[in-house]
Amino acid sequence: MNRVLNLAAFNIRVLLGDPTWFILSWALFALQLAVYGSLISRLVGSNLPNYFFFYSIGLMIIVVFESAEDVGRHFVEHAHEGELPYFLSLPVSRSGFLVAQAIYGVVNTLVKVAPPLLAVLFIWGNLTVSGALFALAALFLLGLGITGTMVSLSFIAFKAVDIYMAVLAGLSALLIRFSTVFYPLAIMPNYYSPVSVLSPLTYGADLTRWVLGFDPKYLLNPVLAAVVVTAIAVSTLSLSARIVDKIIEGVKAA
Amino acid sequence: MAVLISLSLSDMLVTALVMGRMISPEYFSFLVPGIVTVGLFTAATDTGRRIWLALREGVVQYYMTLPIRTSGLVVAYIISGGLGGVVYSSALLIIASFAVHPHNILNAILLLPFMFVLATGIAGLAAFFASISRRGEIYWVYAQALQVTLVTISTIFYSAQTISRYLPGPIATIADYNPLSLAATALRDSVFSGELLNTTLLSNLLATSLPLAALGALAYWVILRTLRLRGKP
Repeated sequence: MNRVLNLAAFNIRVLLGDPTWFILSWALFALQLAVYGSLISRLVGSNLPNYFFFYSIGLMIIVVFESAEDVGRHFVEHAHEGELPYFLSLPVSRSGFLVAQAIYGVVNTLVKVAPPLLAVLFIWGNLTVSGALFALAALFLLGLGITGTMVSLSFIAFKAVDIYMAVLAGLSALLIRFSTVFYPLAIMPNYYSPVSVLSPLTYGADLTRWVLGFDPKYLLNPVLAAVVVTAIAVSTLSLSARIVDKIIEGVKAA
Repeated sequence: MAVLISLSLSDMLVTALVMGRMISPEYFSFLVPGIVTVGLFTAATDTGRRIWLALREGVVQYYMTLPIRTSGLVVAYIISGGLGGVVYSSALLIIASFAVHPHNILNAILLLPFMFVLATGIAGLAAFFASISRRGEIYWVYAQALQVTLVTISTIFYSAQTISRYLPGPIATIADYNPLSLAATALRDSVFSGELLNTTLLSNLLATSLPLAALGALAYWVILRTLRLRGKP
């Protein structure tokens, strides 16, 4: 376990060594909330009460999604640049290696999302320890699920990095647009809502909003959302554990 | 190209449609020209990515062995960015015309040279950031900051009146003179509303885009010249 933690700590030190990405993420979050969020919420008006808050949670989901995507890309870059064989040669089991990657991903996500979350809750006058903790837990679970998906997809990069990047871009577009990240299920046309319930972001976004007290009539059942988010995290992480265990040996991203 | 088209299409047929239901039916027609402009922006900024990759992976050294002058290389990159932006946004405009009826197709054709200049300006800006990116992945920091800032502080998603009503004056001024706002407004007014081409708007578009193209060309030229003289950027 110590070795796994050492490996995770090494990755996290590299991550925290360059704060540029965090500062950029927070600054862009603030800009989008202050300009886009405030203007669109005024245009939406009473059609969806409290849209500003709805949008701010959606923006956090995007931060979590991009952060998880970043872990997958990081993993592929290790393979592309030939570092993966080195990591695999360390006296750490394959599952330990995956756990180290997951810890790196969690820290990356939490550092990017926690300050905006606390700031939004503070500005909204809704900052409570339990609310913040439960919201972080929901975002953390969603992040694990997306990370698992991205690592599972990395086998594509072992054939061709360009195809992997294209698949990621296409998948991101579909997962985000066909989800409740920026608009509730109740407002979507009937022909889009069945697709929307297939996106894990729908469940993560609605669960986080429910935890933070958004009007439940615009959200999915929170129990269903919690079950789906947990199931996705467990299943995709198991799948990525299998990939790391069986497929990864000797690969180098093309 | 297929991925870019699918991104813009999903913006148009999913995001714009749902936001239209949430805001007002007219909002869909308002947003579609904005999405075409964002598409042009995305395609043109690919120039920056290509320059960054060429510098990072040493492909630029190969380019410099070609029988082309440094200025020729620079112009080729900027023009390719402009062409990429125009080809991509034209494809999107054709697709958009199925969703929102264009009132004046001739104006769309007349706007193409201006869209080309805008795309060269954006390509120039991306080239500038690629040229000044010295360490690691810093180019992506600039690229992301550029995209979010230019797209958010513009009239792509909301009208100039909405911005000036709710946000401080300087932000409204930036949004007014943002070349993406100018292009989106030109498309909305002249192509989808059928008004005459607004010469003031188009001259503002040229005045804001050309300096950006020149800035990028100069930055890339300086980098190539330094490479030629010192062997490293």
